[in-house]
Amino acid sequence: MIPIAKKIRVLIAKPGLDGHDRGAKVVARALRDAGMEVIYTGLRQTPEDIVEAAIQEDVDAIGLSCLSGAHMTLFPEVVKLLKKRKSGDILVAGGGIIPEEDVPKLKKAGIKVVFGPGTPLRDIVAFFETAGKGA
Amino acid sequence: MREVVPARKGAARDSVSSLVDDLFAGDKRAAAKLISLIEDDEPEATEALARIFPHTGRAHVVGFTGPPGVGKSSLINRLVRRYRSRDRKVGVVAVDPTSPYTGGAVLGDRIRMADTGVDPGVFIRSMATRGHAGGLALATFDAVRVLDALGMDIVFVETVGAGQSEVEIATRAHTTVVVEMPMTGDAVQTMKAGILEIGDVYVVNKSDLGSEDVLVANLKFQLTARDGWTPPVIRTAATEGRGIDELADALDRHAAYLDQTGFRAKREVARARLEILENAQRLLSRRVANRSRLGRAFDALAEDVAARRLDPHAAARKLLEPTRPRGK
Repeated sequence: MIPIAKKIRVLIAKPGLDGHDRGAKVVARALRDAGMEVIYTGLRQTPEDIVEAAIQEDVDAIGLSCLSGAHMTLFPEVVKLLKKRKSGDILVAGGGIIPEEDVPKLKKAGIKVVFGPGTPLRDIVAFFETAGKGA
Repeated sequence: MREVVPARKGAARDSVSSLVDDLFAGDKRAAAKLISLIEDDEPEATEALARIFPHTGRAHVVGFTGPPGVGKSSLINRLVRRYRSRDRKVGVVAVDPTSPYTGGAVLGDRIRMADTGVDPGVFIRSMATRGHAGGLALATFDAVRVLDALGMDIVFVETVGAGQSEVEIATRAHTTVVVEMPMTGDAVQTMKAGILEIGDVYVVNKSDLGSEDVLVANLKFQLTARDGWTPPVIRTAATEGRGIDELADALDRHAAYLDQTGFRAKREVARARLEILENAQRLLSRRVANRSRLGRAFDALAEDVAARRLDPHAAARKLLEPTRPRGK
C-alpha cells in the first residue's frame, strides 16, 4: 500500500470567456507529474464558480489562466470572494497573456504571482509546492 | 514511511470540534476540511467521524460505475439538476485515479458537472484513489458520511472508470448503477462475470450513437432478478438530456423497493460487517508497519528468512506475536 501523506491540492481554473486552455492543461499535467492532486474545472467559469469549487475541494492554491484580457477584473474578484468566504488562506496565482504593467497591480490585489508566457514549468511547480506546504 | 509535512494553514486554524459543529450547521467549508482530514488519514479524523456517525444514515447513496468515457459524470450532472428541481439536496463524490508513478492526479469530473455552479444545495468533491484498488478511494465512504451529515438527501458516488472487476461500489452504495455504451463489444462481453452482475440499474448511455438496441437486448438477456428486483435497462443520452427522467424514476423505484422489502436494513448490516473487518485490517497493518519500523527484531526476522532459517509465513506469525519475537 502506498503510504498516505498530505497531498497538495490545486485548482486550475479558466475564468472568463476565452476558450484557450492548452496552457492550463500543460500546467495541470506538470503539477500532476510533481505528485499533486489537480482539479481542473474547464472553460468559462465565473469567479463565483471558481471560489465555490476551491472551497468544496479544499485546495491549497488556485491557478487562474486567462487569455482574454479580462484578468484585471476576474483575478482580483477571485481573491475578494475567497476572503469573503473565510478562505483567504488559499493562495492565488495567475497566468496567461498579461501585460507587464498589470503585474504590480495584480500583486497589490492579492495575486501572489503572475506567470507569463515562457515561464519554465519548474518555476510554476515550485510555487505550488511552497503554497501547499503552508509556507 | 509517513512524510513529515507541516500542517496546512487552514487545517491548523480550525479545531476539529468546531469543524464538526460548523458541519452540523450546514457549512460547506467545514465539510471540505473534514473530508481532507479523512483523506490525509489525520489522527483527528477518527475523532471527527465518531461524532459525525450518529448523524448519518439519512442520505440515499447511489454508486455509478462503468468504463472511462462512458458518460458517468455527464449523467450525474443531469441527475443533480433533476433532483435539485425537486428541491432535494445533492452531494457528489467523484473518484479519479492516482498515478502509481508520481502519486499525482488530474481530477476532471467537475468539468462535466459545471452546470450546478454555486447552487447552495449541491456539494461536489473530487477524490483521487491514492493507491486504493477497486475503483474507489479509502476515504470515499467516510466522505459520503460527511455529506450525509451536511444534510444531503442523495449522494452520488462516481467510481474511477472501471474495467470488468472493480465491484467494490456495490458493497457500499444503496443503489448501484452500471453505465455502458453501444459499440463496445459483442454479446459475450455482457455475459462475463464482474461489473455486469452488480447493477441494480443498468444504463445504456450515448444511445444517440445508434445500434444501442443490440446492447440493451444483450444486457436484458444476461440480467436476472435478485431478491424480487429485476434491474431495469435505461437508455439515455446524457449530453442531450434524454432518458434522465426515466433514470431518476428507476433510482426512486429502487430506493422504495429497498425500504418496502427491508433490504435497506439488510444492506446496512452487510456493509457494517465489511467496514468493521476493513478497519480491523487497517489497524492490524498499521501495527505491523509500526513494529517493522522498530527495527532490530524485524531485521533479525528478515535475515532469518533470507538465510532460509525461517519461512516468510512463520516470520509473519512471529511478527504478530504480542511478545517481542526472538531471532533464532
